[in-house]
Amino acid sequence: MTDKQVLGLCRDADTTARAVEALEKKGFSGNEYEILTAIPYPEGTFGEKPGKHRLYIFPFIGALCGFSAALLLTIGTQLFPPLVTGGKPILSIPPMILIMFEGTMLGAILFTVIGVIFESRLFGPKLGLYDRRITEGFIGLLITASPERITEAEQIMAGAGIADFKHSLTGGNNK
Amino acid sequence: METEKNITEKQLHKDLLAPVFGFSRRFWIAAGVLSFVLLAAGLGFTWMLIKGLGVTGLNRPVMWGFMITNFVFWVGISHAGVMISSILRLSRAEWRLPLTRAAEVLTLMALFTAALHPIIHSGRPWRTMYWAFPYDFSREIWPNIRSPLIWDVSAIFTYLISSTLFVYIALIPDLAIVRDRASGIFRSIYGALALGWRGTNRQWQLHGIVSVLLAALILPVFVSVHSIVSWDFAAVTSVEGWHSTIFAPYFVAGAIHSGVSAVVVVMALMRWFYGWGKYLRPEHFDAIGKLLIAIALGWFYFFSMEFIFGLYSLEGPEIALRNMQIFQPPWSIFSIVFLLTAFFIPVSLLLFRKVRRNILAMFFLGITVNIGMWFERFLIIVPGLARKTPFTFDWGTYRPSIAEIGIVAGSFGLVFLGLLIFAKIFPLVPISDQKEGQAFKGEIQIGRVKIKTTLQD
Amino acid sequence: MPDDTTPTKTEYSSALAPTHIQPMNKAGKWFWLAIVLLAIVFSMGVGGFIWRWQSGWDDRPAWGYYAATFSFLLSTAQTAPLISAGLRLVAGPWRRPLARPAELFAFVGILNMLWFIPLLKVVPDTQHRRSIWFDSPISFQIWETIALAILISCGLCLLYLASMPDIAAKVSKAPGKQGFPVPLGLSWRGNPHQWRILKLGLVVLGAGYIIFLTFQQTIFASDFGLSLVPGWKDALFPAYHIVSSLQAGTALLTVSLFLLRQWGGLKDYIGLDTFKGLGRLLLVLTLLWFYFWWSSFIVFWYGRRPEEQLLLQLFVSGPIRPLFTLVLILNFVLPFLLLLWSPIRKSIAGPVIVSVFILSGTLLDRIRLFTTAFSVTESGEVIKNLPPTRLPDTADIFILMGGLAGMALTYLVATRLLPVLSYWEITQGKILESEKQFGLRKVRMVAKPD
Repeated sequence: MTDKQVLGLCRDADTTARAVEALEKKGFSGNEYEILTAIPYPEGTFGEKPGKHRLYIFPFIGALCGFSAALLLTIGTQLFPPLVTGGKPILSIPPMILIMFEGTMLGAILFTVIGVIFESRLFGPKLGLYDRRITEGFIGLLITASPERITEAEQIMAGAGIADFKHSLTGGNNK
Repeated sequence: METEKNITEKQLHKDLLAPVFGFSRRFWIAAGVLSFVLLAAGLGFTWMLIKGLGVTGLNRPVMWGFMITNFVFWVGISHAGVMISSILRLSRAEWRLPLTRAAEVLTLMALFTAALHPIIHSGRPWRTMYWAFPYDFSREIWPNIRSPLIWDVSAIFTYLISSTLFVYIALIPDLAIVRDRASGIFRSIYGALALGWRGTNRQWQLHGIVSVLLAALILPVFVSVHSIVSWDFAAVTSVEGWHSTIFAPYFVAGAIHSGVSAVVVVMALMRWFYGWGKYLRPEHFDAIGKLLIAIALGWFYFFSMEFIFGLYSLEGPEIALRNMQIFQPPWSIFSIVFLLTAFFIPVSLLLFRKVRRNILAMFFLGITVNIGMWFERFLIIVPGLARKTPFTFDWGTYRPSIAEIGIVAGSFGLVFLGLLIFAKIFPLVPISDQKEGQAFKGEIQIGRVKIKTTLQD
Repeated sequence: MPDDTTPTKTEYSSALAPTHIQPMNKAGKWFWLAIVLLAIVFSMGVGGFIWRWQSGWDDRPAWGYYAATFSFLLSTAQTAPLISAGLRLVAGPWRRPLARPAELFAFVGILNMLWFIPLLKVVPDTQHRRSIWFDSPISFQIWETIALAILISCGLCLLYLASMPDIAAKVSKAPGKQGFPVPLGLSWRGNPHQWRILKLGLVVLGAGYIIFLTFQQTIFASDFGLSLVPGWKDALFPAYHIVSSLQAGTALLTVSLFLLRQWGGLKDYIGLDTFKGLGRLLLVLTLLWFYFWWSSFIVFWYGRRPEEQLLLQLFVSGPIRPLFTLVLILNFVLPFLLLLWSPIRKSIAGPVIVSVFILSGTLLDRIRLFTTAFSVTESGEVIKNLPPTRLPDTADIFILMGGLAGMALTYLVATRLLPVLSYWEITQGKILESEKQFGLRKVRMVAKPD
């Protein structure tokens, strides 16, 4: 069955926190709700668990890729053709270190950005069920669940003090 | 005098989004003036393209003049963003909040402008393609990675990409704010740029981590860029005054000095031009003024070391060069102007709190430092080349042509026009950061005083 | 510090409750055993010095290890107060527990001064070599002595001023304590005027200490390093010496804090926050160490003048290569790789282990630089021959061990003279902290007074 969504909106962090607490008591898991805010509240403000992520792996992979690419580039440009200058070794290590450093850092930074986009699921302009008042300071509590659970969720949120709701069937609109 | 007030969310949006959504005659006048200045560069450049490098004042032995000086100058200014944004972010200095974006964008514009200069300087810009990227399999021509000029290309390229991404990632929450207020095609464009940002917990959590991570990653790049630019000179043994080990940190310290001073200028302009007195308050100027004192002292230490150890070995050519820089006009005049404007005047004035909190005074001090720092680069580059060395037959001097002066003037137009256009399209003061600062500030009462508190965790 | 944020009498007395400071006042048998052992090793060092002295002042290469030991003392103990002075100007609450332990190292300055005087006899006058003094009518010995004396005095004044509120708080009345020298508290009563003066004094003396240390290390690195080797023209070397000292000074402080925490009974005061802050600082300084070394190296390597190639052989790639490699590993590779890892950097053991590496690396680095510089005896414009590498003899080993023991001994004595923690700063930190509730989360808020 297609999941439905409901978005509860309120101004107050305490009300949202109460609503989340009540939802969890009724068996709603962390996967079923999302909190949308205009600013980053301290972790745990709404009783949510800190999400697991793999962002830290990205810069390491990027650094490795950047380093390898720079290594190949610097070695390649010196070996083709291998001109001997003043009896010095073909591969000139200190300049290679400099270019490899830049390559490593570029790789790390590029992959970090890719990582944050990927891990934050920022895949395109589609917003799902959303309300533009969120960037005005409203806090949104978005529930994604089966239709019967959605009604229950709305009641729980209303019980916690949330009065403003928006609904969507298949991911919602963007008004 | 303005003090920090509670600003409502509505007011904040109205103030900080005004340049993006509003129509301002000022904007068009400023853009027109700056375009006119930029035209000067365009004319100078076009004339040079048609006639060749002969229209410049460059001639043996001085083959690096105004354009390379300006290149080093703008690379220096480009250190503003990372200094303000990364270092202050990592050290949790709260006063940085309204300045970060303008400083970061200044970095981008300055770096882009800087990167144009060596290309213009080559006289035949299309040839730089063969010089920097000659991956020509058929003729087996490859770049010489032993050359500091190639290191330059790799460092500036890395820094430009990194700074752009740094600005973009920080901009995403603000793009969502603009998206939610835009309509029609603009809503789609900003929506696409905001990548579907909704402000979920996860998005904010990762955004916070990536801000710190990128700040930490970009710092070494930031240091490497001007160090590598300095090795363009320091690697050369044949030019007096260039072959010094201290050049790398000396250049980096100088870059931070001029970059942060340029941020002061931009801050004052933002305050006047957009009426953002509520956001860019005297306390911000005070804090950046204190920072400038520390930076200036550090820079002056490196300058002194460079100078003392230049003379240290008592080599004839080196003494002759210093003699020329200090006692022979016009170099002596430039040296006096440089020392007074880059160090003695600003530092002695910045010691006073009243000066640091006076916007007009800070604006002029920011300009003063940059005049001095421009001359510093000029005095490093040109006198050394003008002196006869064992490897040149000529002993000549340098006089910039009108084309070069036009290009230098135009570069200022380009940077400020870039900033102005950016501010027309994107919020120049980070709105989300401002909101965050507002939401999480607090006060504690101790005795009769109230002291502002900030979030520590 | 605005006047109203200073601790009130009640807050102060509760922070200074005898039970809190009791552990520090106890000097158990292990303390005295350490004192005796260090005194014995220090005496061996004095013996080594007398031995060396008997071979005369003119044999400069023989004094290389003595100079290296002095440079190490200068880089560690003399630099540690700077860490506190610098952090007092900029850093957050985590720096408060390290303030006094860092400033107590100013006491070691007395040993440094004694250690320094013989060096003046060993190094030739600047008339026979290139120097930053050019034709100054005043000899470099006088400049060097004045600079060191000012630095040490400034450090001691900083220590005394910062300790004054704690001395005057009569912590001496704590049980089991012989008594801090309360009269040294002068007429400190903690009125707003006195706090204002104290605040200003700490800023001025702190800034002064930074400036004097920069000056002293610059001229030391120049006179006792650069100018002994003909053609060694490295404008960055003094700055390298300073950056390396900052790294080593922070490392020494980290190890000292760990020892005070483990065996000084200060577990409740010196917490994880402080080590996390130091770990971050060590990472930055480790990167800077490499940057300063590399900036100098690449210019010499690229310059490729004959004397530059010889200088690289002398300090990096010649017979000294194994020592240099070890220095590179201990001062850069290991600290960087370990501190990059967040769980290690944000622990107590991690920064301490890294600090031990850094301290060992810095000692070896000083041996690399100063025994080599002292071993060059040729004169002229530029160096032409590599001098023989000098391995340490028994006297050198005694001198090295004696120097290290002397530093530890002086520090332990200092901990008996003054309160080991800056209780007033820690109390002030507590006053400036508060908690705020956001939803279900309580967060720590910190006030930063102007």
